[in-house]
Amino acid sequence: MIARVVPPASPVRDAIRRRMVLAWAAALVFGAGACGLAAHAAATLPAPAPFEELAYYPSGQALQPATLGHAESAADLAWLRAVQYYGEHRQTDLRFTQMRHVFEILGALSPSFESPSIFGAFGLAQEGRDFAAAEQLLLNALERRPRSGRLAFELGFLYFVRPGGRDLRKAAEYFELASRLPGSPASAARFAAASSQNAGDLRMAYQLWSQVRAESPNRYLREIAEREIEKIAQAIATGREEIAVRRMGTPAVILH
Amino acid sequence: MIALLVAQNTFREVVRDRVLMGLVIGGLVLLAVTRIASPLAMGEGLRLTVDLGLSSISWLGLLVVLTVGTALVSKEIDRRTIFNLLSRPLPRPFYLLGKWLGLTLALATVAAILGAALWLVVTLLGHANYAGSIAEAVLLATLELAVINSLAVMFSALSTPLLSALYTLGFFLGGQWCGDLRRFASHCPAELKIMLESAANVLPNLPLFNMRTLASAGELTSWTHLGLAGAYAALYCACVLSLAAAAFESRDFK
Repeated sequence: MIARVVPPASPVRDAIRRRMVLAWAAALVFGAGACGLAAHAAATLPAPAPFEELAYYPSGQALQPATLGHAESAADLAWLRAVQYYGEHRQTDLRFTQMRHVFEILGALSPSFESPSIFGAFGLAQEGRDFAAAEQLLLNALERRPRSGRLAFELGFLYFVRPGGRDLRKAAEYFELASRLPGSPASAARFAAASSQNAGDLRMAYQLWSQVRAESPNRYLREIAEREIEKIAQAIATGREEIAVRRMGTPAVILH
Repeated sequence: MIALLVAQNTFREVVRDRVLMGLVIGGLVLLAVTRIASPLAMGEGLRLTVDLGLSSISWLGLLVVLTVGTALVSKEIDRRTIFNLLSRPLPRPFYLLGKWLGLTLALATVAAILGAALWLVVTLLGHANYAGSIAEAVLLATLELAVINSLAVMFSALSTPLLSALYTLGFFLGGQWCGDLRRFASHCPAELKIMLESAANVLPNLPLFNMRTLASAGELTSWTHLGLAGAYAALYCACVLSLAAAAFESRDFK
């Protein structure tokens, strides 16, 4: 017959066991709560930036996950490097082959950092003589920040001063968009009206100048709007477009 | 009350080791570097200062958690001072809670000092309106450090300082990518999706504590975000410290 030895009851051991069970139960309850909150936060809070496809296609944007949540600081350091890159080539060979890539990386790292896209676009268009790349850079930036009046205005301005020939219709389109968005300069509506007018779109120009006259807090601007409205009305009534439309010069790039 | 006494001692220990002083000096030097580099930033010096100032709080805090936090308990075991403590009527969970609280308070103090210094620099540059966004970003960075610290204390109670540091670093890296992991999971087959989502739930959701993008533009985050981040940090820390208590309770120091 085998006699089983029953260990004597130990209050200390029982207390330890009780506390362990309690700790595990607490961990489960708190853990479930944390998981629920994490899922809720992922579903309700805005995602920082869409970059899911970057896990499969290496590109400049793939840097974002590697920055461990410090994409802003990485963008700042990249910005310092980009300025140096521009400066080096601006003073030497005027070759900006990597400029678009560098500024695309910056835009991907920090969509709210608008200055690099603007600076890069004008650098590409003027010194780099690559208007298509410049336009794409600003269009991408605007796609990432569709509510940015500053980006819309600068894109309009890029068309306005396009080397080799202004694109006044597109300029007017983006100036008009900028005038409705926060962060654009106060002169956006005036630029939109003037661009439409000089592009020959007199009815649109009439509307935009009327808007400037009604809304501008600047008396001088209201007077300009009044004069331009009169000219446009006269041009429409007589059928003589030249009364209202000015021939604008072709923007040139002068590098010193 | 007992946990508060342990916390007070831990805080004093961190101050005595000149960790706080080192952190503050390191942070201020980084802040000065951003000002020196700002003329190279073509008019974006303010942004540079805010971004790098906030990042330095997180990185320096992480450094302290990895060096000090992961050795908090094991150091006492090595020196055998833990026997003096645990032979008194001091429940082990309170001991761990006190250790975590002490270091978290030290980290919060450094974050507050560096945040105030950052705000002062930004104010001197004529942008006092950044106060709200800097305060919110510093608060979230402190919550993030509290979460990482809880993991460090847990590993410290279970393993050697080196391994604890590696585990904590692993959780930190995984935590930074857990948003990507969730998005990646949504494209996967059901079984893999469950696995990846479980992993994302176990890892600390650190992107929740990141509002540096908003702060660099002087923008504020929503109260919902702050509330969610605070509640999540409290629950995650409670969960990890409970697990640490369960494991530490059964640990034999003989």
